[in-house]
Amino acid sequence: MRIGIVCPYSLDVPGGVQFHVRDLAETLIAMGHEVSVLAPADDDQPLPPYVVAAGRAVPVPYNGSVARLNFGPISAARTRRWLHQGDFDVLHVHEPLTPSLSLLAVMSARGPVVATFHTAMTRSRALAAGAPVARVVLERITGRIAVSELARRVQVEHLDGGAVEIPNGVSVAHFADAEPLPGWPGECRPGYGGTVGFLGRFTEPRKGFDILVRALAEVMPQRPGMRLLLAGPGDLDEVDLPPVVAERTTFLGKVSEEDKARMLRSVDLYIAPNTGGESFGMILTEAMAAGAPVVATDLDAFRRVLDGGRAGALFPNGDAASLGEAVIDLLDDGERRRELAEHAERVVAAYDWPVVAARVLEVYNSAIEALGETVSQGEPPAQW
Amino acid sequence: MPGMEWVIGVVALVVVIASYVTWTAGRVDRLHLRAASAGRALDSQLVRRAAAAAVLAETELAGDPAGDDLYAAARAALDAREDDREASENDLTRMLRKQALDPQEPNGAAVIAASRRVALARQMHTDLVRAALGARERPLVRLLRLNRKHARPAYFDIDDPTLSAV
Repeated sequence: MRIGIVCPYSLDVPGGVQFHVRDLAETLIAMGHEVSVLAPADDDQPLPPYVVAAGRAVPVPYNGSVARLNFGPISAARTRRWLHQGDFDVLHVHEPLTPSLSLLAVMSARGPVVATFHTAMTRSRALAAGAPVARVVLERITGRIAVSELARRVQVEHLDGGAVEIPNGVSVAHFADAEPLPGWPGECRPGYGGTVGFLGRFTEPRKGFDILVRALAEVMPQRPGMRLLLAGPGDLDEVDLPPVVAERTTFLGKVSEEDKARMLRSVDLYIAPNTGGESFGMILTEAMAAGAPVVATDLDAFRRVLDGGRAGALFPNGDAASLGEAVIDLLDDGERRRELAEHAERVVAAYDWPVVAARVLEVYNSAIEALGETVSQGEPPAQW
Repeated sequence: MPGMEWVIGVVALVVVIASYVTWTAGRVDRLHLRAASAGRALDSQLVRRAAAAAVLAETELAGDPAGDDLYAAARAALDAREDDREASENDLTRMLRKQALDPQEPNGAAVIAASRRVALARQMHTDLVRAALGARERPLVRLLRLNRKHARPAYFDIDDPTLSAV
């Protein structure tokens, strides 16, 4: 199948949508499909062979943060040329309601268009101000995919339409085969040692790092040799660590994709104390793929990924004492940790990229069948 | 000449209105054609699902009373008249839900996959019918009867056919 994918954000800036597009494209290519990705990039920027540059992205304040976007007549012309030359069977755009290449591609495309909605943007300006505009865009989209239950609910409630839920993929082998960092996780036996891990923006309150710190301040004194392996962007000086926690913390800073996998292979327990705002919980599937038993807040999104608590332990949101108990119980019980990791390995197989990409291909085929034509066969787009 | 501005203004207005009407008529046509096409795609996915269910009934469930019931439901779905098709398809969904389908077994996997494809086809059909109905209701479309070429599209109202053993 010939597939055109549009990524609205620059591939040189790390982000969930960009990683998703890259992994999906590479998985589909490995399955034997022809894939071209249109993304904002300079012409002289080094790019993977399957990416077509759509020109420099412009920083635009959007939805409370700064997005780097392409929009305007030159981008529109490039998008039309890419569509024309690509001779695609199906067009797959990401986040089509942001003013971006994705929106331009939807408006200039003919035939079957599949769109993936990543964020659960309930208060987006596009939705608030542009309901009629959104309708014109949405009626050109044949198949809608939401990456989480929350994103799907936004579709149903605010955009007046269905969406099939297909989760974010994870490259299981990349995590499962990573080499642990030298000297980690170290000894872990009843009453002694054990490494817990945390990865993410620890300065951001909703990531719940302070809850983990309070739990550790409680349990570390009872447990000699217990350590925290911490990674993420930010400055450790910005958080207030009690001395007992500070002296047993190893801080890796911001880690590469490679080191992230190695870090997750280096812990006895991975902790996700998030207090909210997570629509999917990508980090959980990554920890599960790495074989790290997970302890997570009982958020709906986490509960779903952790198979109701069978593929990882859950604790009440914000409850540091419960978290501390769960951590101690699990560090004492190697058998239970193995059980959780084994069940997690079975659960995470459904999130492996080849499995997820096969589900996406079903949507492509359904969209082509629904319209009875491919993108290259479609009627010419209305000029307006 | 003082009348000239008026002439230009009126001509420009007529051009704008005519373009908008043409665009709207094209949109109404496209949405109706798409809804009809999605209806045919949904029909073919429903037939595939019923066929997969019949194969499962005759192979894995051969000799089992549940297999006979499933086969009967699959036949009923294939033979249903248009006015009781929705009910027949829902019966088939209920029958399939009663089976513990093994995704490792090819005939079971085929039914699970076919059910997923029905769910996708139905969702796309529903979205396109909604868009077509929305376009029909617009005042301009009703005033100029731009929808007169097309029969009013109807939803295909069935329960979610997705099977839990995914």
